[in-house]
Order: sequence, then C-alpha cells, then structure tokens
Amino acid sequence: MTDATSNLPRPVPGAGPQPKSLLTVDARTRRRNAAEKRFRAYGILAIAAAMLALAFLLFTILRDGSSAFFQTYARIPMTIEASVVDPKGNRDPAEMAKTLTTSYNRILQDSLADFIKTNGIAVEGLDDDDLAGFFSGQARADMRWAVLADPSLVGQVIDVPVLTSSRVDGMFKGRVTRESAALDGKTSVAQFDLAMALADSGHLKTRFNWDFITGTDSSDTRPESAGLGVAIIGSAYMMLIVLVLALPIGVATSIYLEEFAPKNRLTDIIEVNISNLAAVPSIVFGILGLAAFINVVGLPRSAPVVGGLVLTLMTLPTIIIATRAALRAVPPSIRDAALGVGASRMQTVFHHVLPLAMPGILTGTIIGLAQALGETAPLMLIGMVAFVTTYPSAPPQGLFDPASALPVQVFNWTQRADPAFFERASGAIIVLLAFMLAMNLLAIFLRRRFERRW
Amino acid sequence: MNNMYLAERTVHTQAQPIKFRCSDVQVWYGEKHALKDVSVDLQDKTVTAFIGPSGCGKSTFLRCLNRMNDTIPVARVTGQMLLDGDDIYDRRVDPVQLRARVGMVFQKPNPFPKSIYDNVAYGPKIHGLARNKAELDGVVEQALRGAALWDEVKDRLHESGTGLSGGQQQRLCIARAVATAPEVLLMDEPCSALDPIATAQVEELIDELREQFSVVIVTHSMQQAARVSQKTAFFHLGHLVEYGSTDDIFTRPQDPRTESYISGRIG
Repeated sequence: MTDATSNLPRPVPGAGPQPKSLLTVDARTRRRNAAEKRFRAYGILAIAAAMLALAFLLFTILRDGSSAFFQTYARIPMTIEASVVDPKGNRDPAEMAKTLTTSYNRILQDSLADFIKTNGIAVEGLDDDDLAGFFSGQARADMRWAVLADPSLVGQVIDVPVLTSSRVDGMFKGRVTRESAALDGKTSVAQFDLAMALADSGHLKTRFNWDFITGTDSSDTRPESAGLGVAIIGSAYMMLIVLVLALPIGVATSIYLEEFAPKNRLTDIIEVNISNLAAVPSIVFGILGLAAFINVVGLPRSAPVVGGLVLTLMTLPTIIIATRAALRAVPPSIRDAALGVGASRMQTVFHHVLPLAMPGILTGTIIGLAQALGETAPLMLIGMVAFVTTYPSAPPQGLFDPASALPVQVFNWTQRADPAFFERASGAIIVLLAFMLAMNLLAIFLRRRFERRW
Repeated sequence: MNNMYLAERTVHTQAQPIKFRCSDVQVWYGEKHALKDVSVDLQDKTVTAFIGPSGCGKSTFLRCLNRMNDTIPVARVTGQMLLDGDDIYDRRVDPVQLRARVGMVFQKPNPFPKSIYDNVAYGPKIHGLARNKAELDGVVEQALRGAALWDEVKDRLHESGTGLSGGQQQRLCIARAVATAPEVLLMDEPCSALDPIATAQVEELIDELREQFSVVIVTHSMQQAARVSQKTAFFHLGHLVEYGSTDDIFTRPQDPRTESYISGRIG
C-alpha cells in the first residue's frame, strides 16, 4: 500500500505559502471570507427586494381597495307620493307592480328638492339632472321592492339610508374633485356642492358597506351597488367540490403509487405524467372542462359544478405530489416496525404511515385549494365570466346554478369603464387575499396540530 | 474475550428441538447473489448469533426468516425454510401470519410515535390476542415485564414511547415484539445504537428471553456473540462458513476464515 502512493506528492505540515502565525490572516482565507460575506449580502438583498415588492403590492391594493368597503348613503326624509306609486289608489300590490322602477326616481328627486328647499340649502346652478343623478339606480329599485312588500308605506314619509350614486360616493373618497366634476358628464360642480352641503349637515354619511361583501354584481351604470356575494358563494361551492373530490382521489392515488404499486415501466410513466400535469397551463384544463363536462356530459355553463370539476383536475397533481412527498418523508423504520409485529401493508399505511404524513398532506391540500381559489383562466372558458345577479340556491341544486368566482369577478370589474369599478376590483382582491391568508393560517395550524416527532 | 464467562455459559447449553430448518437458501438482490447455499438448523429456546464482516449476508438471512425481504421489490429467495415443518415461502403462507410468529427487533430503536402502552398493545390488538381492555392491560404488563421495562415505565404508560432513552426504547421494541407471543425472535444488531450500560441490560434480557423463545441475533460484536449466544454461525461473502456451538466457534474454529475473523485479521 505504501509502495503505490510513495511517488505522489504528500502534504508536508507547515510547508504551505502561508504566514506561520495563526494571528495573521493569509490572502487565501481573506478571499474566502470575502466571498462568504458577498454571498450573504446577495441573500439579504434578495430578501429585501422580495419584501419591498410584497409591501408595495399590499400597499397599493389596500390603498385602492379599502375604500370599496365603505359607501356613502343619504339620509333624508322620502315622501312616498301615492300619485306616483299607486296611480289607481287601491293599494293593490298587483296594480302597483305596474309602476316601473324609473317612476320611483320621481320620489327620490322630489324628496331631495323638498329637502333642499325646506332646509334652505343654497347651491348655485342646481338642475333636475343633478338631483336625479344624485342617487344610485339601485336606490329606486330598492324603494320599489320595499313599497311592493309593504303597501302601507304609500303616502308615508320614510327615513331610511338611500344609496347615492358612485360619483357622489367618489366625492368622499377623493376620486371626484370639484375640478374633475366640472369636466365630468355624469356629475357637475353643483352636485358636488350639494353633496358637500348635505355632508356638512350630517345627512350624507359614509359607513361600512356590507353589501359589497354580500350583495350581487350589478350593471355597468351602478358600480356603487356591486357586491361579491355571488362570487364568494360560487368560489365556496367550487372549493367544496375540489376538497370532496381531489383530497380522497389524490390521497388514494398517492398511497397506492407510493406504498403498493410495483415499480415498473407503467408506474414510471404515470409518475412522469403526474409531474407534467402539474405544469400544464391552467387554461388547458379549462378547454378540457369545456369539451368534456359541458359538451360531452352536458353540464350547464357557468355552474360551480363544472368549475369545481375543472379545478379538481388542476389541483390533483399538486395534492398527489405533496402527499407522495409526505409519505416518503415517513421514516422506513416505522414501516419496518409495523410489518415486524405482523401488521398488513394496509394496516401499516393506515395506522402508522398516514397519520405521520397527515401534516404534509393537509398542507399540500390547502396550498392546492388556495391555488384553485385564485385560478381565473379555466373558469373563463367554461362560462363563469357571466354576469350573475341572482344567488345560487343551496347545494346540491345550487352547484348547477350560474355563479361567479372571486378572481373572475376581479377580472370582470377591471374590464369595466367606470372608475368606481377599479376600487371594487381592488376591494375584491383584498377579500380574495383574506381568504388565501385564512387558508394558509389553517394549513399552519393543522400542521402544528398534527405534527409529531419520531 | 472473556473465556471464563464462555466456559460458565456452556453449562446451560443443551440439545433443543429444531425450530427452523433451512436448506440451500439463495438470495438475489437483482443481479447480486447475496446469499449462497445456506443450510442451517436453528434450535428452539436457544440464542443463535450470526456474525461476520459487513455485507456478508447475515442480516439478509435474518430478514428471510420472517420474510421482511418481501418488501424489497428486487429481492428473490429460493431454497427451503421450514418453521416447524412448514415452508414459510410456500405460496399459501401469508407473511402477516408468519410475522406474528416470528417477531423482529431492529438495529435502530423504532418505537411508534404513540404512547408506551399503545406501542406494546398494537400487535395484540391487530392479532386479536386480547378480548377486552383488562386482558389487553395484562398482555401489555406481561410484555413490558418480559422486556425488563415494567418498573421503569409503569407510572407513565401513556406518555410517548419516543420520549424514552435509547436503551429503554430498544427494550420497548422488544416488549412490542414479545407482546404478540412469537415463537422466534429475530434481532438485527439490537445493541449497535446503544451505550454499554443499555447494551448490558439488553443482553441480560436476551438471555432471559431464551427460556421462552428461539432467539436469533445478528451482531457485529464478537464479544456480544460470545456473551449471549449458545450457537454461532459465521457468514462470509454470502456463504455460511461455519456453524456450531459458540464455545467451539470461538475456541476451536474449524475453518481458517473463521479463525481469521475472530482473531481480527479479516473483517
């Protein structure tokens, strides 16, 4: 042995080019230390850049979207003129239903005009259009429904909060200024002055807007009444379907592939394909859903059931990959221990391996769900971009009713012209992020809860 | 090596009936021929030690005895292994039933991340060895006593098994294996992860277990083989080189390879 190595150069203690004292640092060590310092600096820079981007994102979204959670309402006495709402004077709801919503604008307009007169509010250049456009189109519809539901209101003076138009609302959110009002066809300086006067006297108030969270979408002309209710229900239904389908199928697939399947060419191909499926663009799943679930199976368009099925297909690879990683992370000694006392393969998996893999599986599932919650592209292909103003009913029937979804609603609102929808879209993003945050917190909580040492 | 100890031990050695009769056992891992023509008869109520250098096939052979090699997809076993006359590799044999009769203790203590009680009760539960809670309690206590662990853990049966010390964990694993009332107990280097004191405790335990079970132990330590076993088998490069009473192997080895190994020249 010594013969073979004797010709090679051998390290001789103390023969290097370095200074002999440990107290002086040689050039080589200095270079290595500098390289390490540089690397650390790069790391800190990268983290700082990421944090900055995140902070900027959150800041802009909160700045633009937080105002969507507040809405301006007018509180002035409204006189329900019998001559307008019940021309025949018989208080018969069937007859009164013939009075169209537009007619109720008369009530709002006249009540406002009366209020200005009796309170002596002087606004220069105020015309009928300013009064008519002061309230939301939704306000007259709401009033009509209220009167039809309770005909005794006719002839009364009621004092309820009335939704103002998006321009009036914008005046209190900095979106509409006196200068921009002058240039805006949908508002005027006079309307601006009136709004300010009413606000000063306390008859115009901005309060928390539950309708934004629970309400339905509304048309292009009334952004002030647009809400997320249908989108939230639609998203919830889809998540329900994804959870119910993707979790058991994904976990069963993983367990079979990881613990039972023979390792051969077929399972290799399946494995490669699952990994590839995780990287398939989501819009492709949308086309698949359109072709398979709508055209072949004949499920309705815009329905959460189709969206849920498409998102299930999309989420499955994520769940399978996470679950397999979690199963693989369970030490083989646990399997040996269980098999060694005579447990069957299935008992080994279900009594010992699965409980230990649970935190990883749950985390993977929730991450997959969160991903599905934010997915837009495939839903657009199966018709979930539709304009839906009625709530889907309770499941299971509701799964087949038209619905929207949160990210699609965001997309939808950003497409619309009125600047008030921009605020709505940002607000919807905040709601979406809140759901994401909740799901991730749940994932962390579950992981902590189920985590066990071995 | 403590030859006095050896001499003292031979007093206990006596002819016991054959428990495992193995003939012409061959094992392949894929293309690798890991075990060649092994024929050996293992006695009941005897500690048999398998010794040999790393990679000699002693653990492989041990894992054949309760078909743990089934879990390795590329492993292939031929030959005959008769447990009380039944071929354990017969197609009709369910390895699960076999493993209830041939228990195993592994190199690294591997308690389940559950309570001490659940660790021991798991085997009896899945094999239906206890009809009710009281009976199960009895089985658990007996197993823990059998593993010389009862006094140390009786007040904390519902604490986690992973919280015990290494030696206690290994004795817990022995209790777990004993609880299913096996006939043969396989131990794959049970003391290699333990300190000397824990090792001594486990060795003492192995000697007690001999009264009820046929114990087969794989060990890297020749001293340990000499201390605990009555029979020793020396494996080298996949061959069973020599098998005989521990006394003979260590004092009068027949094969030059055995002699080289026990005197430290190979291995």
